Amino acid sequence: MAVTNFEMLDTTKDVTTTRTLLHESIPLTGTIVSGTYGTFPDEGNIKNYTHGQFQSVFDYPYLSSSANHIFDITIGYDESSALSESTALSTQQSKKINMYNQFSQVLLGYTGSTNQVRKFELDLDLDESTGTVMKEAVFLNFSRLITKDQIKKGTFSITLGTASWNEDGAAPFELVKTLTDSSSTDTAGTNNTLGGDYGLLKENGSGVARGLVFYQAGIVILSTSSWASIPDFLSESNEKYTIENTFVSQSLTSSCDAFRHRVQNITFNNATEINSAIYFCRVPHNKYNHSTNPTYLSASTIRVKSVNTDTPVAYLTTIGLYSSNNELLAVAKLSEPLKKDPTNELTLRVRLDY
Amino acid sequence: MSLKKFGENDVIVNTMKAYPMCKFFVFDGKIYYNDTPAVSGAFSDRVYNVPPGHISLYEYNIDKKIGKNKFIYPFITKDGAGDSFTTVSDSSYQTDYSYGDVISGSYPMSASITREFMTPKAGNLITRTTSSWDGKADVDVYYRGPKYRHFYALKNKLDFYGVRSEHYKVSSSHGDKSEQRINLISIPSIFYGAAIKPGSLSLKWYLTGSLIGELRDTKQNGELIEVTGSSTGSVAGVVLYEEGFILLTGSWVLNAETIGLESGSAPRVPKTPKWIYFGAGSNDDVNQTTTGSGSFVSASFDLSFKGTTETQVLTMFAHALRGKVNYSNNPTFLEYSQSQIETTSSLVYQENASREIYNTVSSSYSDYSSPFKRQVYISRVAVYDEKKNLIGIATLANPILKKEDQDLSFKLKLDI
Repeated sequence: MAVTNFEMLDTTKDVTTTRTLLHESIPLTGTIVSGTYGTFPDEGNIKNYTHGQFQSVFDYPYLSSSANHIFDITIGYDESSALSESTALSTQQSKKINMYNQFSQVLLGYTGSTNQVRKFELDLDLDESTGTVMKEAVFLNFSRLITKDQIKKGTFSITLGTASWNEDGAAPFELVKTLTDSSSTDTAGTNNTLGGDYGLLKENGSGVARGLVFYQAGIVILSTSSWASIPDFLSESNEKYTIENTFVSQSLTSSCDAFRHRVQNITFNNATEINSAIYFCRVPHNKYNHSTNPTYLSASTIRVKSVNTDTPVAYLTTIGLYSSNNELLAVAKLSEPLKKDPTNELTLRVRLDY
Repeated sequence: MSLKKFGENDVIVNTMKAYPMCKFFVFDGKIYYNDTPAVSGAFSDRVYNVPPGHISLYEYNIDKKIGKNKFIYPFITKDGAGDSFTTVSDSSYQTDYSYGDVISGSYPMSASITREFMTPKAGNLITRTTSSWDGKADVDVYYRGPKYRHFYALKNKLDFYGVRSEHYKVSSSHGDKSEQRINLISIPSIFYGAAIKPGSLSLKWYLTGSLIGELRDTKQNGELIEVTGSSTGSVAGVVLYEEGFILLTGSWVLNAETIGLESGSAPRVPKTPKWIYFGAGSNDDVNQTTTGSGSFVSASFDLSFKGTTETQVLTMFAHALRGKVNYSNNPTFLEYSQSQIETTSSLVYQENASREIYNTVSSSYSDYSSPFKRQVYISRVAVYDEKKNLIGIATLANPILKKEDQDLSFKLKLDI
């Protein structure tokens, strides 16, 4: 239908924008992470790479097209960590240090006159004060497929098994710690840095900080302190390894396996921002009472009028949104035609999501 | 490394049109999509958690079972923006939820073909009447509306496409569709994209495994013409390519054998195969039980077509001209164990200007090194924006040898 005239939109009154947050609740049970799709540590949904730098967890055996990538696991420590001193015993030390540095460069950036890479801390002030620096860490890098635009603040929870590996028939989940970011909200309890907003993961009950969660980046960083008191974070071939020994002497892949064995539950809500432009299209009483639709006329008389003194009537079905160069950009359809005559005025709210 | 600017003709945007094949096979009340079997997982009988023949929209909740696993689900908090899920009606949104309440949905969302059998007439109206006070007699008709609303919704479109073929028209010399039985098959657009490709549609009617009839849109004008069967050349229905609807009205007998094809209350009469029964069992509550006939499994149906998808493709030509791109920053490009620094002091820092490049020229003879030539192996092409931010990397399957006197052009394609 040819457009004969346009109604100009007043950008101060007729156009507005809104933002809606759509969330999804994401439950990830530990059985997916360890034990469901094969025998630990060789499950079909765990992908190890020849570069050996991290491990990927899928929700189904990854050779199937049904599988979705859920998250990656890796570990690392800072070059100033005590773990970096024993080069003779250590396996893949430079990779572990590089891994830590890469995460800290991307998420925290540099500091000081010598541009030192920042270190992760178990507080929100980034001042590297004693006692809060996290020099050894486990990194969980969640897929964008499930974190979408960001993890919703205050919803992240991870439950970790903190008992012995298998001493005296014990199992990792006989003792558990649940870490949550319940102190983080949209307005408080977070800090903003290079990698976006981050909050603290605190242990339920004691309130001790044991990790960080970077909301926009979808990265969780866990301190090794959760397992500091147990003698066998990993037990292999009758050898017991504390978490420090594991980080030093085991490969990245084996360390990731050991951590995976201790993940009972992860839940969080994600958020997707839906931005909308709303156009208020105003139809004055004295306009749009005629149609150029070919069926509007029958034998040169208006079909919807029977007497020539009747007021003109039209039915609105469609709104076209045009650019300043009169190019048609978008079309909005009404669910049913609206009757328009000189006795009424209409305001049609056109909403465009993007 | 220096950056090269794309020239005027080096960046082009095209539209790639693809025609993905789509096939449904209907048998015993189940639909099979693209011959994919149902895969069982550790928890769920079906990994995608959708019935056979359905596709899952986001492919969330893989291998989960109600009662055993927690499911991913979407939710939204009612606020001033007024957003909600389409499953929540306007009145429910206004009355059932206060501001700050959580409105939740569920995954997976699935789609498949649906059959609707409109009988005895597609144009039938339903009437409801109030009863008199003693309940003995109907006294007043208070509602009249279409029994098959989907047919009424399509009437305008059918007449609109009447210019393609008279067979589309609701009322024409070929009959009045309102007075006929119609077999409406709805195909969601997620299966075909922008439109079904004209000429690609094929409907096959099998009885006990033997083909007894096939319809094709051989004229590419929407008419579904029988190419195999008892009445070849006849038009058994039409297809709305853009909207994804197939309307079948052909009611001639394809085979004399009678089998249960129509659901309903007893006594159920077995029917002879006709095009109006095509696709029986496609989410239409027609099965062995509802037809009251063990012979329902004799019928199977094959529906195949090509869809149309349009993908915008950005093509970039990156040129490595002769005499350029002959150096690499890879440490192995230079001979090993050469001093990098010539002189260094508190006043001077001077690099070694005579470091030698490692000779990578291959020799055909043993114990003989070929003369040195300037050459590099190009392994990737990086794309930067106007502010020199790295925005993409194209990696070659195998590094390409570039000699000093060679011009090379790399064609980079990006679906947008």
